[in-house]
Amino acid sequence: MIELLDPTSPLVWAQSQAVDLGWGLALRWGLWLVVGFLGLFPGIVAYMVWLERKAAARFQDRIGPNRVGPLGLLQPIADAIKLLTKENLVPAGADGLVHLAAPVLVIVSAFLMLAVIPFAVGMAPVDLPSGLLYLMAASSLSPLGVFLAGWSSRNKYSLLGAMRAVAQLVSYEIPQVLAVIPIVLWGGSLSLVAIFDKQVEFGWFIASPPGLLAFLIMLIASIAELNRTPFDIPEAESEIIAGYHTEYSGMRFGLFFLAEYLSVFAVGCLVTALYLGGGMPLPLVRFPMNLLGDSLPRLILVDMVLLAVFMFKVLLFILFMFWVRVTLLRLRVDRLMNFAWKYLTPLAIVNILFAGIWYECVIRAGVLTLGGWLWGWVVTGPLVVFAVWLVVWINRRLLLGGPAGVGRPSLGGTRVDAGAAPG
Amino acid sequence: MIRVLFLVIAVTGLASALATVLIKNLVRAALALAGFFFAVACLFVLLEAEFLAALQVLIYVGAVSILLMFGIMLTRGVQGTDPASRPSAWRLPGVVIGLAVFALLGYAIFQETGLGTQRAWGAIDPRPAIARGTVEPGAPRRRAINDMGKVVGVELMTRYVVAFELAGLLLTAALVGAVAVAHREDDEPSRGEPSRIPSDPPITTSP
Repeated sequence: MIELLDPTSPLVWAQSQAVDLGWGLALRWGLWLVVGFLGLFPGIVAYMVWLERKAAARFQDRIGPNRVGPLGLLQPIADAIKLLTKENLVPAGADGLVHLAAPVLVIVSAFLMLAVIPFAVGMAPVDLPSGLLYLMAASSLSPLGVFLAGWSSRNKYSLLGAMRAVAQLVSYEIPQVLAVIPIVLWGGSLSLVAIFDKQVEFGWFIASPPGLLAFLIMLIASIAELNRTPFDIPEAESEIIAGYHTEYSGMRFGLFFLAEYLSVFAVGCLVTALYLGGGMPLPLVRFPMNLLGDSLPRLILVDMVLLAVFMFKVLLFILFMFWVRVTLLRLRVDRLMNFAWKYLTPLAIVNILFAGIWYECVIRAGVLTLGGWLWGWVVTGPLVVFAVWLVVWINRRLLLGGPAGVGRPSLGGTRVDAGAAPG
Repeated sequence: MIRVLFLVIAVTGLASALATVLIKNLVRAALALAGFFFAVACLFVLLEAEFLAALQVLIYVGAVSILLMFGIMLTRGVQGTDPASRPSAWRLPGVVIGLAVFALLGYAIFQETGLGTQRAWGAIDPRPAIARGTVEPGAPRRRAINDMGKVVGVELMTRYVVAFELAGLLLTAALVGAVAVAHREDDEPSRGEPSRIPSDPPITTSP
C-alpha cells in the first residue's frame, strides 16, 4: 500500500487515486462478489430454469416439475446436487486442458457482463467510464469458449456445433453492437450509469422510432447470441446431438448450463438498462428519481422502487425469451446468415442515421419538451418504417430474382435446380 | 502490489507469446496468442486506458483469434496435428529479423520525447480521480481517462490520421489479397457450360 501511494515509485500508474482500494470499497466489492456473483446470480439462474420448465409446460399443456417440494420449487436444488455429484467424463482423445478451460471461459464471460449493470442508484458493481464497451468485450469472449469446447472434445458433432456457433455468433455480434450505437450517441457516454441518467431526463430510449428499431435488432441479435431457439442451430439436438457440449458431463456441463441462463439474465439486464429505462416505472416521467434527496431513507426507498421495477422488466424479458423458445421453430443455416447480413446489419447501419436525426430533434435542446418529442416522432417514424419496408422489399426482389430454389423453402422433390447438370 | 501485478502480467504475456511460437498444435498456439492479447489488454488497464483494454479484448480476443481459429478449421489439420507446421530452414532468418525488430522498437521507445505540450512517454503522474460530467478544460490527462472514447477518436482523426488511414489501406489490401489468394479459377463454373458442382439431392420426406 505504501508503494502504491509513493509518487517516486516507477510503477505508480494504475488506479492509484481513482479507485483507492480503501476498506469501504473493498467491502463493497467483496459483498458484490460473495453475495451477488457467488450467491444471488446463480440462485436466480436456478429459478430461471424452474420458471422456464414451468412456462414451457404451461405452453405445452403439461404440469412441469411438481414432485420436489411445493410446485416443484426444490427441483433446481436437486438438479444442482445431481450435476455436482455426477461423474465428469472426459473423452480419451480430448485435449484435457482446453476441455477444462472452455466452460470456465464461457462462464467467466457471462459473469463479467454483470459487473457494470446499474441495478439502481449507487448499485452498479463497478461504474467504468467505458462500461458499455467493456460489456461488449466481455460478452465477445464466449464464442472463444464455445469454439474451444467443440474443438477439444474430438467429436465430429462437437466440432460441427462449434463451427456453426462461431459463424452465428460472429455474424450476429455485428448488428448487436451496431444497435447499441444510437444509445451511445444519445447518452453521450459509454458509462451505463450515465446512460441511465440520460434516460431519466429524456424518457426511455425505446420510446422513439430509432430506439424501438434498435431494441428489436438488439433483441433478435441477442437471442441469436444466446444460442436459443429459433437460433439454436449450434446445439440442434435433432441434427448434431448437443453441438459443442456433446462431450461434457457433470459439473462441466453444469457450467455451460449456468452460463447460458446467466447470459440470458445478463442480456435482460443490459436491454433493460439500455433501452427500457433501467428501473424507471414509466417512460417520460422522472418518478422515482425526483424523490431522491440527500437522506439515506429516501435513497433506500428510491432504490427499492428502482430495483423492483428493474427486476420486473428483466423478468418480462426472460418470459419473452421462454415464449419465443416454445413457439418458434429452428431456422435454416443459410437463412440464419442471410437474416443477419441482409436484414439486420443494413437496418442497424441506417438506424444510426435516424438516431442522429432523433438526437437533433429531441436531445440537442438539452431539455425534453413535448413539442420536440412529437416532432422527433413525426420525422423519424416514417423514416424508420420506410427503411424496414425498403430492406424487406429489396431482399424479396433479390430472392425472387435469384436462381430458383435458392433461399426459398422447398418441399419434397419439387425443387428445380436451374442450370445444374445431373450427376 | 502494482509492481507485482505488472510482473505477473508481463511474465504471463511473454510466456504466452513464446508458447504461440513454440507450440506445434495450431489451435493451442492460437489459444496462447489469445492469452497474449489478453495480457496486452491487462497492460492497457495498468496504463489507465480501460477503453483501449476493452477494445483490445473486443477486437483481438473476441474477433481476431476467433477468425484465426475459424481459419484453422478450414485447413487440413483440423485437429491441429499437421506435421507441415514444423519450423523449417527459415528459423535462423526469422530469429534474426525478430531480434532486429525488437532492437528497433526498444531503441525507438527509449528515444521517445514529448511532442509539443505532451510529456515524454516515460513520465509518470499519479492517476486523477474518475469524475463524470463537466471536466475542467485544462486537464487533458483527466479528460483522457474519463472520456477516453472521445479523446481517442479526436486523436485518431487529427494527430494520427496518416497512420490511421495507412492502417485502413493496409487492411483493405490484405482483404483484397486474401480474396485473390483464396479465389481459384477452376472453382468458378465457366460460362455456357453446366456447373460441375453437383446439385444437392432433392429433399424427400420418405425414410
